[in-house]
Amino acid sequence: MIDPALITNNLIDGVLMGLLYSLVALGLSLVFGLMDIINFAHGDFVMIAAYTTWVIAMMLYVDPSVTAIITVPLFFVIGLAIYKIIIEPILGAEPLIQIAVTVGLGYVLQNLALAYFRAGPRSFPAPWFNYSIQIGPIGIAVSKLIAAAVSLASLFIINYMLVNTKFGLAVRATSANREVAPLMGINVRKVFAITFGLGIALTALGAALYMMWGQTNPYLGQSFSLLSWVIVAMGGLGGVMGVLYSGLIVGVLEALGSTFVSPSARLAVVYLAFFFILWFRPRGLFGRR
Amino acid sequence: MTGSHAVFGQEAKDAAELVVDIINNELGGIKSLCGAKIQLVVQDSGETPDDARLAAERLISTEHPVIVIGAYISRNTAAVAEVTEREKVILVMDGLVDDLTKQGWQYVFRAAPKASAHGATAAKFVIEMAQQKGLTINSAVILNEDSIFGTYVGDGAKMELLRNGIHVAAHITYPYDITDFSSIINQIKSINPDIIISVPYFNDGVLFAKAVQQAGLHPMFIAGAGGCGYTDPDSIQAAGDAVLYYTNTYSYNFARPTQWNQKIVNEFKQRYGKIPTEAGGIIFYSMFTIYAALEKAGEMFPNDPLNPDNLKQAFLALDLTDDNSIAAQLYPSGHIKFGPDGDNLYAEATVAQVQEINGTLKPVIVWPDAEPGVQPIFPRPDWQGAD
Repeated sequence: MIDPALITNNLIDGVLMGLLYSLVALGLSLVFGLMDIINFAHGDFVMIAAYTTWVIAMMLYVDPSVTAIITVPLFFVIGLAIYKIIIEPILGAEPLIQIAVTVGLGYVLQNLALAYFRAGPRSFPAPWFNYSIQIGPIGIAVSKLIAAAVSLASLFIINYMLVNTKFGLAVRATSANREVAPLMGINVRKVFAITFGLGIALTALGAALYMMWGQTNPYLGQSFSLLSWVIVAMGGLGGVMGVLYSGLIVGVLEALGSTFVSPSARLAVVYLAFFFILWFRPRGLFGRR
Repeated sequence: MTGSHAVFGQEAKDAAELVVDIINNELGGIKSLCGAKIQLVVQDSGETPDDARLAAERLISTEHPVIVIGAYISRNTAAVAEVTEREKVILVMDGLVDDLTKQGWQYVFRAAPKASAHGATAAKFVIEMAQQKGLTINSAVILNEDSIFGTYVGDGAKMELLRNGIHVAAHITYPYDITDFSSIINQIKSINPDIIISVPYFNDGVLFAKAVQQAGLHPMFIAGAGGCGYTDPDSIQAAGDAVLYYTNTYSYNFARPTQWNQKIVNEFKQRYGKIPTEAGGIIFYSMFTIYAALEKAGEMFPNDPLNPDNLKQAFLALDLTDDNSIAAQLYPSGHIKFGPDGDNLYAEATVAQVQEINGTLKPVIVWPDAEPGVQPIFPRPDWQGAD
């Protein structure tokens, strides 16, 4: 029989990781929901952001979480530049062209990382929050607790922004009808650029939080890409709350798969559940379209 | 020498060039072959088995080598072996997966300790240390990435532990792209084993060590086996004191105090500015084994020494020890003799441990021949004793 404390510990970790996954997937969801661009390089931006986090953390010798003060605005600007140079020219192009461009961008980022940092692991050797709170048999990793809290707060802030600000209204209007939005005085290109920048900035925040306990290598992005796509598809473009709930489901499924099957099978459990969900709800759990 | 494993290929090439220079210039070539010189031809085996297969085809068709050595990454080594076997060319392998010598291939040899030997070495080390300290190991957890290499190393450790009556409470496998060890650490905590033997690559090793530290897990000992993590400079830099007192096994002992090992290490340091590691070390003793085999072939078959079947007989006739060869002086166990499958009957790995020396974390060789002035630290100082 499996120890109840083990199940509880793993479920807590699943929830904490699920919140981080939601944060990373939110950027992908915003861009896809608004622009219909399938950004296959999304996870690779997490990887590049993780390297940037590591470089700054090592230079200043501060916890990776602190570097978000620098990396989030930096990656927002990088996101704007990538949008202008790479994404804007392929808006409205055939999906195959968009896929080829973003997949190519992902490979460029991976190979740049490989050439510059080589394949070895990069991790901050003296994190500030690398300890646990122990409550009886239950242990909660403080770094993951902080990451989850920051992720949750960020999701609510972005949700508030989308619901209660003029920019949020512009995003929702553009998402609803890209042709009519300009007639209402909305600068669609500007909304696209800012939203893409925001999506990339969120990868930087996710990377800074992940690097509190994690490590990066040139292939880190592949793991985050796949999970982000599952979360976005499972949520069915159901807004921030859809991403939040889907991320939590993925995190908990990973934990259950690891507990009851094997750590090697944790993703298989996630994908099986994903297939079942799409079988019964082809538009995802919270899908609008 | 290209792709994500380029760092290993470059060091192997550097090591091979050094050994060939020594054989040709200092030792006067192969004496039994009238002082014939060895000509080294380097071919990039690329990143994938297809690349490696093509590289072997190109090498054999254009250069007609007598012996091929390579290709470190086991799946690529298998691809090369398919070509060398068909062409009847001797292949001295530095890939470590056990299967490489179980394919029925007739022209392959491997001096390096195979994957399961790394696992067995880690277990032997821990068992011997516990005995020396009067401690009893009742239970163990084995942890490995779910690749074929990781599985063989993990199985090697498991067999050795079971042979010594130690209960293996769990054998946990995980995927290579793991990003979080929480659930595994929770499982290990619920088992509360005396020792953990894990097979660390770079990325998973760093993640695991940090997760152990974060969870406050304090077993009697955590020993690495095979892989390349924990005790390498990159892992120490990335994980910091999370890897303090961790060990890992290596196919080469740069600190072995034999005359030729010290000479080779010093010359390598002078020429390339660094201490040779696993990739270079395997090449050192494999190349000098080739040198010994060529000498033997010249003695045994003076009329046709380079015939592949005669060369094979020469390899099988070798019994290299510290006293009669250079190769054995470079080898962890000091003894190389090939069995019918081409594996070294006296294969043994060596154990390195991360210790704090003058305020800096460094890997030092602790077993079976410890570096001068170094002692293995066992059990972990933060172990709180048996519950």
